[in-house]
Formats: sequence, structure tokens, C-alpha cells
Amino acid sequence: MSSNSIALRLSGMFALVALLVFLLIGWALYLQVDKSLGLLPEAEVDARYSVLESAVQRYGTPEHWVKINAKLKLLSEEDKRLRFWVVSDNPVYEFGNPDAEIRAFAKGPTGMRDLNLSGHDYPFRVLVSQFPAKDQRPPLRFLTAINTETFWQTQHSLLTALISLAAVGILLASVLGYWVARIGLKPLKELSLEARKLTPPRLSGRLKLTSLPPELDQFVTSFNSTLDRVEQAYSRLESFNADVAHELRSPLTNLIGQTQVALTRGRSAEHYFEVLQSNLEELERLRSIINDMLFLASADQGSKATQLTQSSLAQEVAKTLDYLDFILEDAQVQVEVRGDASAPIETAHLRRALINLLHNAVQHTSPGQLIHVDIRDEGDHVSIGVTNPGAPIDGEHLPKLFERFYRVDASRSNSGANHGLGLAIVKAIALMHGGTVFVRSEDGVNTFGINLPC
Amino acid sequence: MRVLIIEDEEKTADYLHRGLTEQGYTTDVAREGIEGLHMGLENEYAVIILDVMLPGLDGYGVLRALRARKQTPVIMLTARENVDDRIRGLREGADDYLGKPFSFLELVARLQALTRRSGGHEPVQISVADLWIDLISRKATRAGVRLDLTAKEFSLLSVLARRQGEILSKTSIAEMVWDVNFDSDANVVEVAIKRLRAKLDGPFEHKLLHTIRGMGYVLESRRVE
Repeated sequence: MSSNSIALRLSGMFALVALLVFLLIGWALYLQVDKSLGLLPEAEVDARYSVLESAVQRYGTPEHWVKINAKLKLLSEEDKRLRFWVVSDNPVYEFGNPDAEIRAFAKGPTGMRDLNLSGHDYPFRVLVSQFPAKDQRPPLRFLTAINTETFWQTQHSLLTALISLAAVGILLASVLGYWVARIGLKPLKELSLEARKLTPPRLSGRLKLTSLPPELDQFVTSFNSTLDRVEQAYSRLESFNADVAHELRSPLTNLIGQTQVALTRGRSAEHYFEVLQSNLEELERLRSIINDMLFLASADQGSKATQLTQSSLAQEVAKTLDYLDFILEDAQVQVEVRGDASAPIETAHLRRALINLLHNAVQHTSPGQLIHVDIRDEGDHVSIGVTNPGAPIDGEHLPKLFERFYRVDASRSNSGANHGLGLAIVKAIALMHGGTVFVRSEDGVNTFGINLPC
Repeated sequence: MRVLIIEDEEKTADYLHRGLTEQGYTTDVAREGIEGLHMGLENEYAVIILDVMLPGLDGYGVLRALRARKQTPVIMLTARENVDDRIRGLREGADDYLGKPFSFLELVARLQALTRRSGGHEPVQISVADLWIDLISRKATRAGVRLDLTAKEFSLLSVLARRQGEILSKTSIAEMVWDVNFDSDANVVEVAIKRLRAKLDGPFEHKLLHTIRGMGYVLESRRVE
């Protein structure tokens, strides 16, 4: 499994989270217990001392002192942690065989103190108290001590337990996390299995939305819409290829056929001349188709208009009309230009688009009628619409009119120089400028146009 | 005028050689880059026609090596009409650029543009047989009769007359008269020629404006043989 497997990463993250949680909780728990454990020895020492205090204070004779000694001895035997020392000037009133170390300690301040005895790993918690002289007894220092070893050991084993528990917990969290992630990711795996079935030419399939977790809904929807676009592009490409082949086939047929016919027997020089000229016409046609397709292909590949100059669109339309002047006169069609706007354009490209738009309009306009060119500034873009009176175009055709080789009337194919790429080139030029094309058919007029960013 | 053709595609090299020789150029042909570069450096050529896709050293390589020592004008030919290619070719010192498929007439026109020395005197008056054109006052007469031409018709006539005897393709006519340098569906040039012909040749026995089918148009006096 690859290192960036989601399940592995999730289980790693679970482990990390578990580590963090255990650290925090364990730390807090440990601090709390440590605090309580620290108080315990003092509490015990205090308890023992309070039992003995009044007796020690009261007894001032050696006879009485024997009783104290016996009691202290009993207490130390009962609880091995406890130690008692009594230090005084008179050995009779002493207990616990205090050595020099103890004596030195006993001379220190009274109260709760720690005593480190040689031979012990852990200190004793010691309550040092002072008793004034009574009867025959000299003043005493009374030491109630408790060995803290057991407390320290408790604390130590708590720490060990916490750490090992945390380790087990982290391990469990990561293993269970991995398992949970695997279960959680199951829909994804199913999805990818389903997606694997969708390869060309079987692009018509879609990922199914039912029984998918909502988190994947959006992904599946956008994946499906991408598939829609891919399928459209794919089928457009397929039909484009077929159209190209078809479009090239008829000039090629003419070329091959008439050359073969010419060569089958001896012909006059005039005849050969004729054939060559006709061939040249067909070849020019091929050249123009290929050039147009190369232009469309470069636009498809995302080629952009680069030499942009801010220009008056009415002026560009006027220049285009100047070029088309003879055509318009021949067709007895007039053109009226309304409005003006300014936009950054690559003039040669825009001119080409305008020629194609206007030429398209002229071809569908009867003599004596008027074509309108409307230039509008729409705020965020400018639009140039070429409107001619003409038969209404069926709604089904409208969105396809700017597609390559698309013809409303299929029988009108191969009509002279018109190889059905004119409007496709208009669209390509719009795209190269970051614009769009539009077409409307209403109230007996048809409008083809282009929107350009300004 | 001597021209070097560096082109590995045999048919292309052959017809260029033949065509340009017939146009009055002395032509040498090299079939590969290294050989072409060597010839280009050794001899003095008016123009070098250089294909981009060549075996051995490619067209850009030849151009770079040539430019290091010589400034012979170069026309690049390429099958990939891609804007980047064009920019690259021109940046590395090509003087002109033609994408395949190109027309032979187009190539000849570019060749002439490169070899025509700057400062050539543009004539102010041209005559072809009994046609007389004054480019300053923009008047044209035939057999002493003033031709009633529109401004565009006069521009078309003067473009043809300046290159009398030379076949001009529709594309180059559109470029010279209307500054439109791409193919368009509209057959503007045909319509314009038809109109000019009606006024120029219509009333006269001796025709001056001829159509070369599939290639273009030529203005010349073809006297009865």
C-alpha cells in the first residue's frame, strides 16, 4: 500500500490524537495523585504524634518512661515504616538508639522535615517536636518519622501503569482507526471500481448517486459533469474527424478521378492544361480547408489573441464593410451600423470574424433588404450583433450553428468555397479574445454575434 | 539572382528548383542541413529558402549557424503553422516565414519582396498597351478615354499594373488592396475583378486583364501572335 493511503494516514492521525489525549489526561492524573501522595506521609506522622503527645508530656519519671518506650517499640513493630527517636541529655530518656546523625538532625528546627538516612534510597518524613523538662526528665526532642519509600513506589508504579496503558491505547486507536477508516472508505473504493469501467468508447456511463455518503455527492456530481463535457468533446471530435475526412474526400476524389481519366489516353496539351487548372482549384480548396482547420486547432489548444489594441468597433466594422462593398452591391443589400464601443482586439482576427458574420448574413438576405450591425457596450463586455431578415431558424439548430461543418440544410454541403467553417472560426476568434458568441432567431430576424470582454 | 533551397522533401525541392529557375533565378538545392549551411556560407546568395524539418541539422540550427557569420535573407518554410514556431523563427533571424501548405505564387511574391532593393522608385505613371494610369492624380484612361473607376477599383487596377505580367493570387490581391491577409469565404476579389474587367476590358477588343484559373489574375498586353 502506498505511503499516502488514506486509511494508513487516518490511522496514523488517530494514533497521534490518542497520544495527545493520553498525554494530557495522564499528566493531569499523575499531578493530582502526586499531590495527594505527598500529603499522605505527613498525615500519618501527625496522626501518630497526636496519640503520643499528651503521654510524653505528662510522664516525667523513669518508671513512666518505660511505658512510653514499650509503646513506641510496639508501634514501630506494628508498622515497619514508622521510626521513633527520642533525644535528650539523659540516656534514660532516650529511644531508638539515636546515633550522631540523628542527634545532629534533632538539633535542627522543629516541624516537618526530610531526613536522608544512609542505607535508605528514599528520605524519611520526620516531625521534630520539642518537649520542655518535666519532673526528673530533661527537655526532649521527639522525632516521629515515616519511611516514604512505599509512597514513592506507589507513585512509580502509577507512572508505569499510565505509560503502558497509554501505549496500549495508542496502539489500539491506530489499529482500530485503520479498520474504521477502511470501512469508512469502502464507498470510495466502490466508486473507483465503478469509475474504472468508464473508458472510451464507453463514456456514456455515469457514476451512480444512490446510497453514497453525502460527502461524496459533490465529488460524484462534478465528476459526472466532467464526464458530460468529455463525452461531448469526444463525440464532437469523432464527428469532426468524420467531417474532415468527408470534406477532404470530395476534392480528393475529383483530383484522383480527373487525373486518371486524363492519363488513360493521349490528350491534347489544352486538355492537360485544363485538367491541371481544375486540379489546382481543388487543391486550393484543400489548402483553404486545412488552413482553417489549423486555425481552429490552434484556438482549441488555447491559443490566445496577443497583439491586442484598443479599437473602435464601429471603425472595424466600417473597414470590413469597405472590403465587402462589392459583395453587398452585387447582392443589393444595405448595411446599417448602429452604436459604437471600444474593446481590446487583435484587429486581423476580429476583421476575419466580422467578414464571416457579415458574409453569412448577406448570403441569407434577399435583395433590397437591410442588414443591421448593432454594437453595444454592456458594461462588462461589448457585443456586436449582425441582424438580417430571414426565415426563422429552428430552435434545435440554434446552439449548433457555430459548430464546425454544421449545416441546417444537409443538402447544401460542398457549395463552392463555403466549407462550413465560417461561423466556427467566428467562435474560435471569440474564444481567443476570451469572449463568446450568440445567436437569436425571433420576429423574422436572425442575429449572429460575438461578445468581447472590454 | 542566385537562390539556395535547403529542403529534404524531394518533390518540394524539385518543383521549387524548376519554378524558380523559370522565374529567372539561379537555384542551388541542398537536401540536408549541414550541406545547406556549408553552401550558404561558401557562396553568395540573394535569398536562402530554408525548411525547418531537416535531417541532421534542423532549420533553426542552420539559421543560427548561418547568422553567426552572414546576413543573407532567409525565408523559413514549415509544416507546423504554429505561432510559437513563427516567433522562434523570426527571433532567430529569419526574414520571412511561410507555413505549408503555401502557394508557389506566394513564395515568389515574398522572394521578390526580399530581393527588391529598398528605395526602389515607385513609378508615378504606368502604361500597359493603350492603358495609361496616373498614380498621383488617380486617373486611368484607355485609348484616351477616361475610365470611370471607383476608389477601390482604381486601387485594384494599380496593384495589378505595378506588377504587370506577374500572376497575382487572390490572397495577395486581397492583402495589397484591402489589407486582408487570410482566406475568407467571401469571394470579394472575384467580384472586384469582374467589375474592373467590365470597365477596363468590356468596351475594348484588346483584353488586358486575364484570369489564370486556380492561380489568380494578371494584367498584361497579349498582342495577337
